[in-house]
Amino acid sequence: MFDARQTLELLYLLVKKELKVRYKNKFLGYVWALVNPFAFAFVYWIAFKFIMRMEIENYSLYLITGMFPWVWLSAGMVAGTRSFVVNASLIKKAPLPRAILPLGNVAQEMVHFAFALPVIIAFVWFAGEIRPSASWIWQVPLLLALQLAFVYPLALGFALANVYVRDIEYLVGIGLSLLFFATPMVYPITMVPEAYRRWFELNPLHAMMQSWRSVFLQSTLDFNHVAYAAACAAVTGVIAWLLYRKLAPRVGELV
Amino acid sequence: MTHAVMCEDLWKTYQRHRPLGVKSLLLGADPPRDTRFAREWALSELGFQVPRGRSFGVIGPNGSGKTTLLSILLGTVKEDRGRVSLSGRVASLLELGAGFHGDLTGRENVFLYGSILGMRLAEIRRRFENIAEFSELEGAIEQPLRTYSAGMIARLGFSIIIHSAADILLIDEVLAVGDASFQAKCLRALREFRARGGTLVIVSHNMKEVTEVCDEGICLDLGRVVDAGPMAGVAARYQERMAAADPGKVKGGALGKR
Repeated sequence: MFDARQTLELLYLLVKKELKVRYKNKFLGYVWALVNPFAFAFVYWIAFKFIMRMEIENYSLYLITGMFPWVWLSAGMVAGTRSFVVNASLIKKAPLPRAILPLGNVAQEMVHFAFALPVIIAFVWFAGEIRPSASWIWQVPLLLALQLAFVYPLALGFALANVYVRDIEYLVGIGLSLLFFATPMVYPITMVPEAYRRWFELNPLHAMMQSWRSVFLQSTLDFNHVAYAAACAAVTGVIAWLLYRKLAPRVGELV
Repeated sequence: MTHAVMCEDLWKTYQRHRPLGVKSLLLGADPPRDTRFAREWALSELGFQVPRGRSFGVIGPNGSGKTTLLSILLGTVKEDRGRVSLSGRVASLLELGAGFHGDLTGRENVFLYGSILGMRLAEIRRRFENIAEFSELEGAIEQPLRTYSAGMIARLGFSIIIHSAADILLIDEVLAVGDASFQAKCLRALREFRARGGTLVIVSHNMKEVTEVCDEGICLDLGRVVDAGPMAGVAARYQERMAAADPGKVKGGALGKR
């Protein structure tokens, strides 16, 4: 019943709706989207640089360039996981393609991240004296697409699971808090003892976040990281698609 | 004769798929209590056909499977056994305000809801003036939906589906909300819709309304078809049975346990 164009138009309207609801108070709405990652970064900067006096070069830059893509990832995942349960009446009463609901959440968070890009760029410019690089023109869109492809299947899979076992949404929240420290986001991976480091490097979130940081701070992109994140996205994509085909028809009566 | 809607030997149960929590995973699920609302089959061996351009009523007490039937026709719930076929574009008004958002204006909700119904943006833009005019909401169409009354939301919802270019409309008890003049307008619009070859399936507890709108229909009880035929007869016999039932134990009411 829905062709590709109708699906895209519906996605556009859903994302627009979410943005409008969130930015109801237009100017402050935009500011709030920025305050969250900055506040987190500031807290960790105080804790690690000021109190524990860790010796990390350009620590504020390291925090900020990782924090924004992380907030996109985790907010998209949490909202996406809840999307079927939150939109229960829509799922019961309209035959729309259900996979579009978590995609709407993840895409919406991506738009917030994209809105914040000028602020990130300004921050690395003024605080780190890193001039905007021409290579960002292809690197940033590539990573945007990669992270969307990486997060969406996870959100879809968890959204389906959350319909069957309602506690999943809490587990996702807790899991993300643990992963925040395991990824690592607030200390460089070089601080992890060498014996354990390769286990940390298996984490595809590390590849994803490290790619963002190296683009903003060095204007380089490690091909291995990109390939690894893309491969993980492909695997989770296939799993999520199989799950969706199997479980989606029952979602209407379980939400 | 071409049938717009056809159901054949439809069976549906909700028992086997209930959402679990960690608690029930660890402790085992509580056994369901046997009440009429937790029977084994929500629908059983149900079958009917609606020819194109006709209108079909579904009546019956609460919990008799009417909404389950419409959900299956719409495709939001999947049947366990049997065959369902609908030929043409389907639109539904199953619940007041489902798919609407309070912070969006009436206009924005027209676009969002139209898109949810499967309309293209260009199509919605083209019909927007007609939708707004039909709803008689005038200036309120630019106001956020949360300022609307239930009747205004019903007006907007009905205006959208009647302009949705659907071939089949599924309507669940939503005509009751508008005021008398708007109800009359809706009934007129539904007649015109049928005159254009559209097919209607309506669930209602308002016997006068279904008899007025529908040619034929069925009466459900406990998920089975207990009566079928011309709507006026089905509705009259249903009302007789309701009246004959013990008034202290209204069959099909929330108190009616088997």
